Amino acid sequence: MLYSLKGLWLTLVSTVNGFREPVTRQYPATGNIFKRREEPTPVQPRFMGFPALTWDSEVGEPYCTSCMVCIRNCPTQCMSSNMMDNPLQQEGMSHRRKIVDTFEINLNRCILCGICVEVCNFDAIVMSHEHEMSTYQRNGDRVNLPVLLDIGRKFQRENNWVPPTVLAKQKREAEAAAARIDAPEDSV
Amino acid sequence: MNFQPDLAPPQLLAISALDFVWIVVGLLVMFTFLSVMVLVQVWLERKVLGRLQRRLGPTRTGPMGLMQPVADAVKLILKEDIIPAESEKAIFWIAPVIVVVSAFMIWVTIPGSPDAVIQNLESLGLFYIIAFAVVGILGLVLAGWGSANKYGTLGGLRAAAQLISYEIPVIMVVIAVAMLAQSMNMKEIVAQQSPYPYVLLQPLGLVVFFIAGLAEVGRTPFDIYLAESEIVGGPFVEYSGAHWSVFFLAEYLNTFAIAALTVLLFFGGWSGPFLSGNWDIIWFFAKVYAVILVIFWIRGTFPRLRIDQLMAFAWKVMVPLSFYTIVITGIYMFYNWPPWTLTLMSVAGLVVVAYIIYRRLTGPANRVAEIRARQEEQRTARQRGREAVAP
Amino acid sequence: MGELVSQETAGSVGDVPERGEPVEMLLNMGPQHPSTHGVFRLVLWVDGEKVIRAEPHIGYLHRGSEKLCEGEQYHQIITLFDRLDYVANFNNELVYCQAVEKLMGLVVPERAEYVRVILCELNRIASHLLFVATMGLDAGAMTPSMFCFRGRERVQTLFEAVSGARMMHNYFRIGGIKEDLPDNFEQLVADLLPLLREDVGESDRLLTFNEIFLARLKDVGVISTEDALDFGLTGPCLRACGIEYDVRKAEPYSIYDRFDFDIPVGLDGDCWDRHYVRVQEMYESLRIIEQALDQMPSGDVASSLGRRLIRPPEGEVYARAENPRGEIGVYLVSDGTDKPHRVKVRPPSFCNLSAIEHMLKDSWIADVVVILGSLDIVLGEVDR
Repeated sequence: MLYSLKGLWLTLVSTVNGFREPVTRQYPATGNIFKRREEPTPVQPRFMGFPALTWDSEVGEPYCTSCMVCIRNCPTQCMSSNMMDNPLQQEGMSHRRKIVDTFEINLNRCILCGICVEVCNFDAIVMSHEHEMSTYQRNGDRVNLPVLLDIGRKFQRENNWVPPTVLAKQKREAEAAAARIDAPEDSV
Repeated sequence: MNFQPDLAPPQLLAISALDFVWIVVGLLVMFTFLSVMVLVQVWLERKVLGRLQRRLGPTRTGPMGLMQPVADAVKLILKEDIIPAESEKAIFWIAPVIVVVSAFMIWVTIPGSPDAVIQNLESLGLFYIIAFAVVGILGLVLAGWGSANKYGTLGGLRAAAQLISYEIPVIMVVIAVAMLAQSMNMKEIVAQQSPYPYVLLQPLGLVVFFIAGLAEVGRTPFDIYLAESEIVGGPFVEYSGAHWSVFFLAEYLNTFAIAALTVLLFFGGWSGPFLSGNWDIIWFFAKVYAVILVIFWIRGTFPRLRIDQLMAFAWKVMVPLSFYTIVITGIYMFYNWPPWTLTLMSVAGLVVVAYIIYRRLTGPANRVAEIRARQEEQRTARQRGREAVAP
Repeated sequence: MGELVSQETAGSVGDVPERGEPVEMLLNMGPQHPSTHGVFRLVLWVDGEKVIRAEPHIGYLHRGSEKLCEGEQYHQIITLFDRLDYVANFNNELVYCQAVEKLMGLVVPERAEYVRVILCELNRIASHLLFVATMGLDAGAMTPSMFCFRGRERVQTLFEAVSGARMMHNYFRIGGIKEDLPDNFEQLVADLLPLLREDVGESDRLLTFNEIFLARLKDVGVISTEDALDFGLTGPCLRACGIEYDVRKAEPYSIYDRFDFDIPVGLDGDCWDRHYVRVQEMYESLRIIEQALDQMPSGDVASSLGRRLIRPPEGEVYARAENPRGEIGVYLVSDGTDKPHRVKVRPPSFCNLSAIEHMLKDSWIADVVVILGSLDIVLGEVDR
């Protein structure tokens, strides 16, 4: 009896709290029918959505050179790509000799493990924050290069994306600088 | 032999055409009104349970999700009505009708205020209500059996066992109330409660009636025959669409009826400190919805009992308690003692039973103390061992 | 469905059983039943409400994980282990990584070990919260499940901040972890712990000692200590019988020997003890996390292996760890290539489930779901 009464008290308190500050929220829009405000679920900065290809805006081409390392390391074999000679390199505008021609990811097969991002040597693939991509067709989630680049550009724009290799280089340089400041005698 | 063949039939048809029209109109109004009440109750339940669990409840349909029950109803009516191939078609069809008709028939004589009643039965209002409450069981058993599903059969038989067992305490407590009021007329019972509602005279009766009533309508913690996690909805397992919605309607109507009866028999019905006269129906509905909120609160708190525990509770606790209620009422009325003596006897019975149940059920809690003591022992032993190793 | 009396007892059609003679009815529970926790099928022979005999059928979720492991490289297998016990992903990743590390003789950096322990214990809490939620639902209480999911949601948001995924993290690596924790991690966990303690406490207070809950769970599904050992039960199911056996204490792996925590045990080995042990374990896990946060050093989080392809030396290894469900073991045979020759998992859910036929004897139908729920199986691990 005693514990039952305690439980009743607990749920009463919980009801009061529920009216004061409920834990859940409306999705995907808050408000009522008269005043709707689109408010998607916030995602954490490291959130791994579907993979996307990045865009090198300095040159105006994808980072991807279609080196196939992500494709070989994918646990579910959900990607495929083709390589071509880079026309911009022949014009002297780019340092990439080869560039991606076609790229396809079957997002229905993708398990969002992030291995492709980890193994990529060219900063060419990212796990975007895109996660609401349901379609009505069985094969509707096969995405090709333009779509992947679109998602990637959106991700880069919204997150001020800096290529990981650049980040690592900056970090190394900062550490080296710090080491020089710490031990000036050695450097002289 | 003196036959008077033209006496009986004219008696039956003694109502005029106008009366007939009025009865039909009254029934239609009642039907519509009760359906709306059920919709309100469904919305309230989802909303209150949501807040109890710190959720929002329905929000998408209409302001504050007010149209959610309407959306549910429309969806259920548009849904395909599947009838299993091996079912007894006739029984399968008739079962929901029996359940819902009995649920509506109860309401014919439940007064919301002295005037808001279809037909107040002068001498046997309570008897009529109790009688129709039992009919619904038949529908549940038929539904379970007719759907040719083993879960359904189990649910139907559970419903029969449970509802018949809990019918007895309900009837006994109702008899005690009828003794106090010296009447079975609902209006008279309410009128008798004018100085003190019967909850003050007979708190034990209220507790027994409310708990047995919960079991009667299959609300948590007594939703054994529905048991979503065990027998997947029991008698309703094969029903879909409009048929299922009819069961749903009946279930909520019964909950509403039990709340209304609790209010009428123990909380003084439509009487209140102010708002008398034509507005007293507001009191009635305020009290009924307060009782319904308590039912939702209990649903949000407790797990479900098992069938054997449920039956044991009925026959070992509820039935003796209801007899005790009758006996103390009889003693009180026979010796014409002052009202507080009845209250005292009632509370004493309640306390004694609560204490016995408490003592019986604290066994596991004591075992926990044992577990904790043993763990403490082991912990100190380990510590001693560590200290012994350390130096 | 139409036939209510099983062929074996009823004899010919129309054979009416004697009065008082048990009539067996064959009841199919699952694979589409709301409380079989996935796609598990139980065939019950019942006499009214009493279960005479039960026969479990598994395999509806068989994905051939062990065989798939033979076709994947070592770092890809982590994703497969995520999907074995899909409510305790970090614990599964840990035991696989430990197996490979043991084979290669790798030393994992201190900080990575601490990160692993914190995440594993958080995952244990999340898993046990799910258990309490489903236990409440099986017993018919709906509110504890909401309270528990609130706590679980908080843990999963933290996981998302750390690993980028709420469930299939793929965060542990052979010889370390994928990347260092986010900068505000300690603040996040410090904020989380009191909330989590409150969530665990709230569902505990609402459910554990509730009289109806006690009546439903106490002395139900009792298994004796000898039987529990014979069936190979591990984890909370074994500890509920009163045996203080926990791999974290019995054979400390990772850095579990550095923490001070207790092993909660039960007395009777019934469903309520299994529930109680799990609830207590959540409090112990919180203690471990607090200690680990205090002790956590800074430094590298991955070994010097870098991103090179992993080729362990030829040989075989068995690693085990304490999952929320019991002892998980990984037996791994390497032939020196970049793919393992054989990976065998000893799944705790599978071994615990083997006792269900024994436990269900002479129980009520209503007890079946409670007993099954108290074993806390995850079908992804049972069927692999």
